[in-house]
Amino acid sequence: MCGIVGYSGSRQAVEVLIDALKRLEYRGYDSAGIAVCGKELQVHKDKGEIAGLEETLPMLKGTVGISHTRWATCGRPSKNNAHPFVDCRGKFALVHNGIIENHIALRKELQARGHKFTSETDTEVLVHLLEENFKGDTHEALLESLKKVKGTYAVAVIRLGSKEVVAARKENPLVIGLGVGENFVASDVTALLNYTNNVLYMMDGESAVITPGSVKLFNESGGRVEREPTLVSWTVEDAEKGGFDHFMLKEIFEGPSAIHNTLLGNLNEIVTGDSIIDSNFSSVKIIACGSSYHAAMVGKYLIETISSIPTTLEFASEYRYSSGAKEMPLVILVSQSGETADTLAAAREARRRGCQTLAITNVVGSTITREVDEVFYTHAGPEICVAATKTYITQLMALYVLGMRIGHSHGALSHDALRLLRSELRSMPQYVREVLENAAAIEEATDMIVNARDVFFIGRNINYPTVLEGALKLKEISYIHAEGYAAGELKHGPLALLNPDMPVVAVCIRDHTYEKMLANLTEVAARDSPVLAIGYDDDTELSSVANRVIGIPKVKPIFTPVLIAVTLQLLAYYTARRKGCPIDKPRNLAKSVTVE
Amino acid sequence: MKAVVLAAGEGTRLRPFTVSRPKVMIPVGNRPILEYVVSALVDNGVRDIVLVVGYRKERIMSHFADGKKFGAKIAYAVQEKQLGTAHALTVAKRHLDGDFLVVAGDNLIDGRAIADLVGCRRVPAILVTKSETPSKYGVVQVENEKVVRIIEKPEAKIGNIISTGTYWLNKELLRTVEENVGRDMIGITQVLQSLIPMMALSAVHTTGRWIDAVYPWDLIGVNAAALTIRGQEIAGTVESGVTIKGNVSIGAGTRIRSGTYIEGPVTIGEGCDIGPSVTILPSTSVGDGVQIDSFSLVSNCLIMNNVDIGSHSHLSHSVLDDGVTISTGLAAPAGMAFAKVEDEFFKLERVGALIGEATEMGAGVVISPGSIVGSGCRIGSGVRVTGNLENKSVVV
Repeated sequence: MCGIVGYSGSRQAVEVLIDALKRLEYRGYDSAGIAVCGKELQVHKDKGEIAGLEETLPMLKGTVGISHTRWATCGRPSKNNAHPFVDCRGKFALVHNGIIENHIALRKELQARGHKFTSETDTEVLVHLLEENFKGDTHEALLESLKKVKGTYAVAVIRLGSKEVVAARKENPLVIGLGVGENFVASDVTALLNYTNNVLYMMDGESAVITPGSVKLFNESGGRVEREPTLVSWTVEDAEKGGFDHFMLKEIFEGPSAIHNTLLGNLNEIVTGDSIIDSNFSSVKIIACGSSYHAAMVGKYLIETISSIPTTLEFASEYRYSSGAKEMPLVILVSQSGETADTLAAAREARRRGCQTLAITNVVGSTITREVDEVFYTHAGPEICVAATKTYITQLMALYVLGMRIGHSHGALSHDALRLLRSELRSMPQYVREVLENAAAIEEATDMIVNARDVFFIGRNINYPTVLEGALKLKEISYIHAEGYAAGELKHGPLALLNPDMPVVAVCIRDHTYEKMLANLTEVAARDSPVLAIGYDDDTELSSVANRVIGIPKVKPIFTPVLIAVTLQLLAYYTARRKGCPIDKPRNLAKSVTVE
Repeated sequence: MKAVVLAAGEGTRLRPFTVSRPKVMIPVGNRPILEYVVSALVDNGVRDIVLVVGYRKERIMSHFADGKKFGAKIAYAVQEKQLGTAHALTVAKRHLDGDFLVVAGDNLIDGRAIADLVGCRRVPAILVTKSETPSKYGVVQVENEKVVRIIEKPEAKIGNIISTGTYWLNKELLRTVEENVGRDMIGITQVLQSLIPMMALSAVHTTGRWIDAVYPWDLIGVNAAALTIRGQEIAGTVESGVTIKGNVSIGAGTRIRSGTYIEGPVTIGEGCDIGPSVTILPSTSVGDGVQIDSFSLVSNCLIMNNVDIGSHSHLSHSVLDDGVTISTGLAAPAGMAFAKVEDEFFKLERVGALIGEATEMGAGVVISPGSIVGSGCRIGSGVRVTGNLENKSVVV
């Protein structure tokens, strides 16, 4: 996972390349680099964040250039392994996002022919191939070179003495920004919004030649492609912190309006219009990675509860290599960015197997939207913090709406029951506001976990995934080791680990599992582990089994995962803040993972 | 030019509508009061805005963010404790340079009022207007367009020109304000008053809109004043058999079901489900995600977000905060009332019910005019409410 920017225009390229690159920092930040083409081809790169690169930046003169922010996959983070890479003669500079799978073989061949390598990366083979294949046209040379590689890529290249930026993509995103007398290319549209909101999304296998006055798009075989530009309604300012200390807190507080936007147009029209959901299928399979997988787990519980249709789950990275049983489920793919490499591959695999596919994603025009039969947009707006917050709860919203429609169209959910669920779902923004209103109490509760080395999160049924997600949030931003566990499994092992220094966060909702949860808490209390319980705010029983209780508004149990998720997001946030962690950009992590 | 907008206060006299939000974020005409203030500034080319926030600041920050959506560039200064307007100004100091405007964020003000102040070209200046209830405000005595004296909340009738809390100041005055903070001077007006013998303070009269809400029932009038929709803007779905008259806006994703009658000015937010057969009468705003069921009538009301009004309800001259849920058949008629706020009684000619956030009601509740029902109350079926209810009251 890396971020790429390319520029060809009339201003000094450096300012654009650095500014745009900063907006891609969520894609990786262990090293960064820039190449500018003026009278000579100048390259500056280093290990560390973009801000560090900027400090040591020499005067780079030129109006054409490329830049790159890296999240290491092949070759450790170092100055030598940072992009851009330059060929032996110093004529080309190249940046790349993706993986070249056959790089070892290619490297040997190239070295045998006398090419000198300066890094451990897979990428460097590309620039040497380019050097060999160049016969006067960079675009042709790039296409020729890419024919030799196996793997995935988004690349951008500049050549000394040319105003062209040449770009190509396969399974990694690239978008072209159209300006006046200048044009851009970047991994993500957010990088370009300071300059233009008129963009061309590049499709898989396409390449492009960008100059100050023109953009030419080509298909895989090199034929010209014409496409209408898209106007993007997001603005860069959507991505600014607006008074909050961190993007994460800002994004948590955007939850109510994000939910409102997800439901808008979907809730009142829940059973109207054509949808593949009304087609005939006997099972549902939900495929996702990371936090989206936890949302998918909630989806499984609720689809089975509402519609009685068997629902299975799979990690995208597992599904794509699985053999596949003899079934034709409706496949729902969940990906915030719509660019997650494994999920994209799973979508293709599902279609190859003849399944109908539906994607839940936040990013309009992302790659996955072109890989599936139907798309449900969550419309949560841009999320900058690496840890998913508002996008997670809006994924849940999408799954509620889909689950209700599945239940209704398959005859398991009566009109009346649908009305009741719909009415409560409509009020979710309000319930989330009430949780946010309780932020001070949640911040206080961090007393119990801020000094812990390990924390257990336990829950049952529909809130089992919620505790997995809560543990993930705590791990990723506060660096406290946390484990989510199904409460009933505690006695099959983990109970042995409990001690007075290991707090337990327990979700205890008054549903059919409530009595069992209380019994589990008694077991925990017997090991002297401090218990932080989360339950309905009118539950007076909890305080007798827990050291501290956080209340949530009383909604139907099926909707509690949303409110508890927000509670646990705040808990993780305030814990990390007290520990002074770099909340928005945790170490070793990147927002959307476009490598496999 | 820059502007400092004071938005840190709670607005205790407006409780329960300020339980979870600062006064500036109370929505009227489906936009927070502060948004009108920001628009008024932006309309006059004042885009550089410093918001002084404090009480429930997250509500402001998550709405306005960095201000681009509103055509402004917004920075935030945090006033941790609400120690008055003079202190609020000093916390914004590092953002200020040269001349700047100071505007109260909790008054409905329009571009004309700001234009009058900016047009006077005299610093320092204070914006004044006529008021029918001067005793609630600082009364300003003016001679030759200069302020002679400011009397805070006078008991005797000494004039009807009041301070709007809108000023044009400069860096030197800011220093003076800073020196006086802590010497019993909590208001900007007090500091200026003390300086009158030494310097000329211009009074700029405006006939532009300036409306303040002090008590909960004031919101009904402020809401009506904010409903300045022109024509019909309908983004949602309107089923056949719906009558829409006058100036009405209906947000995206909202469905108005058959047999519903709407007479503007009315604004309805996004994602609502209204009807079948609901009547909405003039000067009503309905927020986002609101559901109003059959045979209910809503007249001259301020309905905020995610409110659920069951069938056969009657609501007039009432305010319903976010998330109020009515099972069915609420009667909240308008009438004459003696309402009570902070141990003070007020005789009101026409008012309905004033209901706080997330209060839930069973079937057939009757609320007598002028009752203030707190937030998070649970009211059982068939209850008759007279007088006020504390937050989180349970009545069965």
